[in-house]
Amino acid sequence: MPGDRIPRRFFKNASCAIRNMQDTVVTRRKGYFWTTESRLAYLFILPATIFLLAFMIYPVLNVILMSFFKTNKLAQFMKFVGLRNYQELLRKKEFLEVILRSVYWTVLAVAMKTGFGMIIALLLNVKYTGRKIARTLIIIPWATSVPISALLWLWVYHPEFGLLNYTLKATGLLRNPPVWLGNPLSAFMATIWVDIWIGIPFMALVFLAGMQSIPEELYEAANADGVNAWQRFVYVTLPGIRNVLLIATLLSSLWTFNDFNVIYILTKGGPAQSTQILITYTYENTFAWLKWSYGAVMAVITLVILSIVSWIYAKIYFKEET
Amino acid sequence: MKRKTISKAVIIFITTVLILLLLFPFFVMVSTMLKSSKEVYSSPPYWIPKRLALSNFITVWTQYPFATYFFNSFIIAAGTTVLTTIFSVPAAYATSRFRFLGKKFLLYMFLVIQMFSPIVVVISLFKIISRLHLLDTYLGLILVNTVFTLAFTTWMLNGYFKTIPVDIEEAALIDGCSRLQTIRKIMIPIAAPGLVTTMIYSFIAAWNEFMFALTLVQSSKRMPLTLGLYNFVGRYTTQYEYLTSTAFLAIIPIIALFLLIEKELVAGIAGGAVKG
Repeated sequence: MPGDRIPRRFFKNASCAIRNMQDTVVTRRKGYFWTTESRLAYLFILPATIFLLAFMIYPVLNVILMSFFKTNKLAQFMKFVGLRNYQELLRKKEFLEVILRSVYWTVLAVAMKTGFGMIIALLLNVKYTGRKIARTLIIIPWATSVPISALLWLWVYHPEFGLLNYTLKATGLLRNPPVWLGNPLSAFMATIWVDIWIGIPFMALVFLAGMQSIPEELYEAANADGVNAWQRFVYVTLPGIRNVLLIATLLSSLWTFNDFNVIYILTKGGPAQSTQILITYTYENTFAWLKWSYGAVMAVITLVILSIVSWIYAKIYFKEET
Repeated sequence: MKRKTISKAVIIFITTVLILLLLFPFFVMVSTMLKSSKEVYSSPPYWIPKRLALSNFITVWTQYPFATYFFNSFIIAAGTTVLTTIFSVPAAYATSRFRFLGKKFLLYMFLVIQMFSPIVVVISLFKIISRLHLLDTYLGLILVNTVFTLAFTTWMLNGYFKTIPVDIEEAALIDGCSRLQTIRKIMIPIAAPGLVTTMIYSFIAAWNEFMFALTLVQSSKRMPLTLGLYNFVGRYTTQYEYLTSTAFLAIIPIIALFLLIEKELVAGIAGGAVKG
């Protein structure tokens, strides 16, 4: 950076710098709440803050409030009912199933993304010609618009004209491939696969970046000790990417838990609610069935879950930075 | 030495197979977009089109409202980018250069907000946008999209500004530049690569957005591409040759843009954990 080369004493004689120093002295005494500079700071953050207050903080507070009210079909608050909405929902078997499904949807998908991502990262960490091209091609599922990918997969899974079932039959991999989105189990597998497919590249890239920051000497030392490939992975690579692994899986869990597009476009939660997770169920309750208070309760539950996870993320992030 | 060559060959082979599997839907897309309707709906299907139906690309522009969808997506994405930049540059500058009460809290908020789920606010936002009479407008979608790009962008820019040494600015201040001038003449030019990255990010995020469009737009005149394509599948017996041709046109520029910023994106998201 060019600025580093300007020596500090260069500033010492300038009157402006001296005035600045005096400013700091005064500031220290008064506290730094209302100095000229901090007034400028508040001016600068004002637009963004007002915007977030209006379109983020207020909506969050509003939805929390709504969860304690009965609403009509137009989403107007009718009557304060306290925790009744929560009680009603928690008594519904369908809702509990949705919560449970959200959990294993997330756990299963993140585990698969981590697994595939790790394998691909390890493969890309070997030097060979064409590695850059391979890396680029692997990014494509992540780079594509998720709604458009989901629409492409809808066509891929088409039972009669889809090329997936044709290819499975032609290569003899599956003699009788299912109507993927038609049965509860296969629909769940098909939708979660699309979610996994979208998430793999991010994992692979982050793991790869982590692996490339491990010093070469560690591997050399390990090789000198005569370890095999598996031991090298467990004792050098894994500890080397521990933090990266933690952050990536945490973020991936958030995104996976929040996946609306894939499920809504492929199945809308069907057949027989077999692919309904909390996010899509919230949306359906609110905008298809107009049960606004139930939607609000679920939004609040989502908010609580996400806040906990993102709080952990923020903790790790700030710890890493300092 | 020979063992090494073999193991490298095995690695390249496995990588190739994995890539082919990952790109499967795109092969299907290319195959379908080059077929005529008759070929698309033949049972059993086949991979290679017998006659290239390049006319699909003309049909989607002329006979279907895809051109409108493209235009709408562009307006919404560009609007989101402009609005996000206007809000985030001063905010990021303030958080990276000034000490003020509540700064840490603000940074914390930005980090947390970027991970919020749209579902948490979509219910209230629908009410707000409809009360402001902004349903079915570009502005409604631009505002809502900006909520989610703003936090991430400010966060990224804050990082970029921090890497620029304060000395440069101090020198300019001594030379008689005002704060605003140092920002315009020094900070923004130096941070330009970072600024471009965040602008591309905002553009892509708004271009790909689906849930808010689904909620806030009903008329086909204002639909962005994602929603337009979704409705195309729902409404008619879907003509997948047109869907895939449009999808192809829609994702090529987005993938190109994404590849430009992918490295910074990974670094920004994973933070200090990746030192590469």
